[in-house]
Amino acid sequence: MKAAPFEYSRPSSVAEACELLTRDEDARIIAGGQTLVPMMAMRLARPTRLVDIARIPELAFIRDDSDAIVVGGATRQAALERHASLAARLPLLARALPWVGHAATRNRGTVGGSIANADPAAEIPLVLVTLDGSIRARSTRDDKVIAADDLFEGPMATALALDACLTEVRFPTWSHARMGSAFQEISARHGDFAYVSAAAQVALDGDGKCVACAIGVGGATAAPTRLKAASAALLGGRLDDAATREAIAAEIAALDIMIDPHASPAYRRRVAVTLAHRVVIAAHDEALSRTPA
Amino acid sequence: MNAPSKFRYISTDRRVREDRRFVVGKGRYIADLAAEGMLHVALVASQHAAANIKSIDASKALAMPGVHAVIDGAELAAASEPLMNGLDTPNVRRHPLAVGATRYMGEWVAAVVADTRALAEDAAELVEVEYEALPFVIDAEEAYTPASTPVHPAHGSNVLLDRVFNWGDIDEHFAASERQLSLRVTWGRNSTVPIETFGVLAQWDPWGQVLDVRASIQMPKYADQIARALRLPMNGVRVHYDVDVGGSYGVKRGIKHSVLVGYLARKLGRPVRLIEDRLENMRSGDAHGPERIFDIDVAFNSDGVINSMKMRALDNAGAYAGRAPFQLGKPIGAIVGPYRIKSVRYHAVSVTTNKAVEEAVRGFGQSPTNYAIETMVDRVAEAVGLDKVEVRRRNLIRKEEFPYLIPSGTRYDSGDYHAVIDKTLAHVGWRELVAERDALRARGLLAGIGIAACLEPSGGNSSFEPLLNPKNTTTTWMESCRLNVDALGTVNVAIHTTSSGQGHETLVATAVGEALEIDPDKIRVTRPDSLSSLPGNSPVGSRMAIMLGGAAFHAAQKLKAKIVAIAARRLGCAPEAAVYREGAVFHGDREVSWDDIVTIAHRHFHELPEGAEPGLESTYIMQTPTGLELPTADGRVQMYPCHSFEFHVVLVVIDPDLGKPELRRYVIGHDCGTVINPHIVKGMTLGGIAHGIGATLLEEFVYDAEGQMMSQSFMDYLMPSAHEVPRVEIVHHCTPSPLTVFGQKGSGESGYLGAPAAVSGAINDATRPLGVRFNKLPIRVGALADAVADAREQRKDSAP
Repeated sequence: MKAAPFEYSRPSSVAEACELLTRDEDARIIAGGQTLVPMMAMRLARPTRLVDIARIPELAFIRDDSDAIVVGGATRQAALERHASLAARLPLLARALPWVGHAATRNRGTVGGSIANADPAAEIPLVLVTLDGSIRARSTRDDKVIAADDLFEGPMATALALDACLTEVRFPTWSHARMGSAFQEISARHGDFAYVSAAAQVALDGDGKCVACAIGVGGATAAPTRLKAASAALLGGRLDDAATREAIAAEIAALDIMIDPHASPAYRRRVAVTLAHRVVIAAHDEALSRTPA
Repeated sequence: MNAPSKFRYISTDRRVREDRRFVVGKGRYIADLAAEGMLHVALVASQHAAANIKSIDASKALAMPGVHAVIDGAELAAASEPLMNGLDTPNVRRHPLAVGATRYMGEWVAAVVADTRALAEDAAELVEVEYEALPFVIDAEEAYTPASTPVHPAHGSNVLLDRVFNWGDIDEHFAASERQLSLRVTWGRNSTVPIETFGVLAQWDPWGQVLDVRASIQMPKYADQIARALRLPMNGVRVHYDVDVGGSYGVKRGIKHSVLVGYLARKLGRPVRLIEDRLENMRSGDAHGPERIFDIDVAFNSDGVINSMKMRALDNAGAYAGRAPFQLGKPIGAIVGPYRIKSVRYHAVSVTTNKAVEEAVRGFGQSPTNYAIETMVDRVAEAVGLDKVEVRRRNLIRKEEFPYLIPSGTRYDSGDYHAVIDKTLAHVGWRELVAERDALRARGLLAGIGIAACLEPSGGNSSFEPLLNPKNTTTTWMESCRLNVDALGTVNVAIHTTSSGQGHETLVATAVGEALEIDPDKIRVTRPDSLSSLPGNSPVGSRMAIMLGGAAFHAAQKLKAKIVAIAARRLGCAPEAAVYREGAVFHGDREVSWDDIVTIAHRHFHELPEGAEPGLESTYIMQTPTGLELPTADGRVQMYPCHSFEFHVVLVVIDPDLGKPELRRYVIGHDCGTVINPHIVKGMTLGGIAHGIGATLLEEFVYDAEGQMMSQSFMDYLMPSAHEVPRVEIVHHCTPSPLTVFGQKGSGESGYLGAPAAVSGAINDATRPLGVRFNKLPIRVGALADAVADAREQRKDSAP
């Protein structure tokens, strides 16, 4: 369990990092290293060069924009978890972050790293997809924004070019007064990758009608999936239990479910419906408990 | 505790002396030890379930700078003897590196020695091995059939052991019973998987002609086995016992690693160290635990009284024999559990398959057996429609029946099972617990209560060896201790083994302190190397409280007799008339102090009693309290001397949609006789329960149909964490053993021996209303939920 030989660089700017990545197509970015280092130790990953972006100042920040919280790619998950406005502005993310690995791994792991790694069961990508966020990726060729919808392509696969550096992550915030959110997941042990996870954020008007709804499921599909049809179906209504479940079940019934040894596809499909339903109801109940503006 | 303490130090709330160095990170583990010029080993492992080795080309590896040697199985086998087999199976040959053919995925084919471990791994990748894949067998049932591909063709079949024992009038008892039922339960392949993998450092001294070995070892006859395998005289191997072992519970056997490294150290004239990485530990450390299928027929009456049992235990030993098949033998000493079952047919089968090699794991086969027995008792209760606690009460051996002879020839020393159960249930609030379960059920959750009443045979002897291998006539499994009071009067105790967390230093200091009536903290405990050691058999079979504690106590008694004799001469009285108290000796109002006695012993030969040797020293080599006879022809034998008892009560709650069991309440009633150190026993029990929860819900070494191992790291081999292990409430009871010096029994396997039965029983109680049963461990979240979903679907379909 010793990594195969590799070179190591610690650039001090994104430009320098991109330069290093361009020069060697087998170079890989390392940030928190919570996935890459064990993979290298088992020689399942064999980068020729590690480009360590963990100490690039421009990649470590959390910025409160008016309509989003924007996070630098190499920002530690623990730093985001402790960000003062997170619970109020991005309650869904605040609820999801404690599920990301363990406190010790969140101290090292980065927000951008979790997204670039694109594990189908990872929580941060699920929240990004559910809230319809985006990332920014820079290379020596360009600097572009990629919507979450276009980013995740499958297990450990993204639209990020190999020579690109994920510089920032944009989590949209909602401004509704009556907003609620919920996050749930199931795994064999706490801190493991989820068999299924589900996220929901719901906003209601003064009458209790649904004016905004975002639902996502992770773990069940090759990449986190936003339940767009179910979300749309629930808009304008009062989210009764049966209709909610029906809308969610209908959309999940059409999804391609992952196959792996840990849980049967039937389990994942069934539990995706259960958890998605539960988080929508919980988010709705929370929103209902808030005073209208 | 139920008995008032008659002890000064035993059973008192005293610090565990080893904890100090462990807590501050100053343990001295194998990875902390280095020798000047030390080289490192990496292994080339086969990826095939079975294959012939056509050729090995190490030229590229050897060309790398920093690489010192690459050796293969042929070279090592020419210079060494095959590793020891427990059974009489001479054609099941096992070498550290495969010779000619590989027999499981991960088996070592070649060893690479280099300046660093990383370099050795780089070079290992360059060793080119040409394989020819062979047919293989993974499943134990298949391996048991005569048509299966033998893992060792020279052995002729895959059967290592196939023996039927008949103890008592089985057929008569079956015929006379009102009811019968059959069940099958399966224990999955798991192990103890310590944080510290196995490691060994060997160094050859050509001028002294001695091999120095330091290892994270827990192995009986370790030095003997190295010497035999490497064709060295036993006094040419010096094993150093002053190495801390980072966890074991049975699996730190490392004999193949040690023989390999010993050979390399001699060949290269340099110190060589091999520390397994996690992959090597999991797939090729030869450290998997039992994997066992139990088929049981049980005969009982309508009142729940069990008369007779027929049990077939089929164990998947993996690719080589080792000591693993003995794990079918040890449970013979508690084959009826704590119950008055009158007769037993026990069919023990061990087969080879193309899986990694099985090794000793906590309980040595007892935990799987207890799981089978307890599941059987649950079924009997279900069949007769009685409460499962009540059925146990009706079958338990009563306290007045001890010593109690079980059909397979072992006499249980002592116990009060009804009292432990009553005490535990009173603590639990049994009625309230049942009400809580029912309230949870009413809320739509699955909820169940599991119980288990199990024995921990302890004081390990070797009786299963001659029982299963007629060529083995061993009837002692001694342990030793040596005391020396030095010239300035301080007390030194030598023990002759490594420890892997059992707290032996605390144990012997407490036992000697108790006997000599001096503060245990003032006693020095040392670990001489194997060349300076008295005979012993290491901490296996839950034996050290009994055997090492016993040896220490007896050595102290001998020393005390010497002290009294010395003092009596000065006092001018007969030794019988002198009284020893707290280090001094009294006769009437006259006293000889400890310092005076030390002075006489070390400096005043003229004052010593006639015939006495100068100095103050004593040794004691203790024979096991039982197991002194060879087995009878019909296979009855006295197995371990002492029998601890544990009674588990678990409340499990399961969200029926998600299938994840939550352990809402966990209580254990525990009786291991006199407790020597309460902290050590508590730690053993809590750890054992965590281990049992892992075996029941999470841990398994999974092989696919191609013989590929699917759980090679902690990504897939899931250990329970603090999140999964609930708070455990321990209810103590003390039934002293009449066979031991303080009344102590073993506790090194406590918790683990009953937790799987109890947790599995709780899950089965939870899903019983749906008609769903789980007969196989581990019970995984997905499988549990799928079975529940299917059952609900069927109910829906069949509803009017």
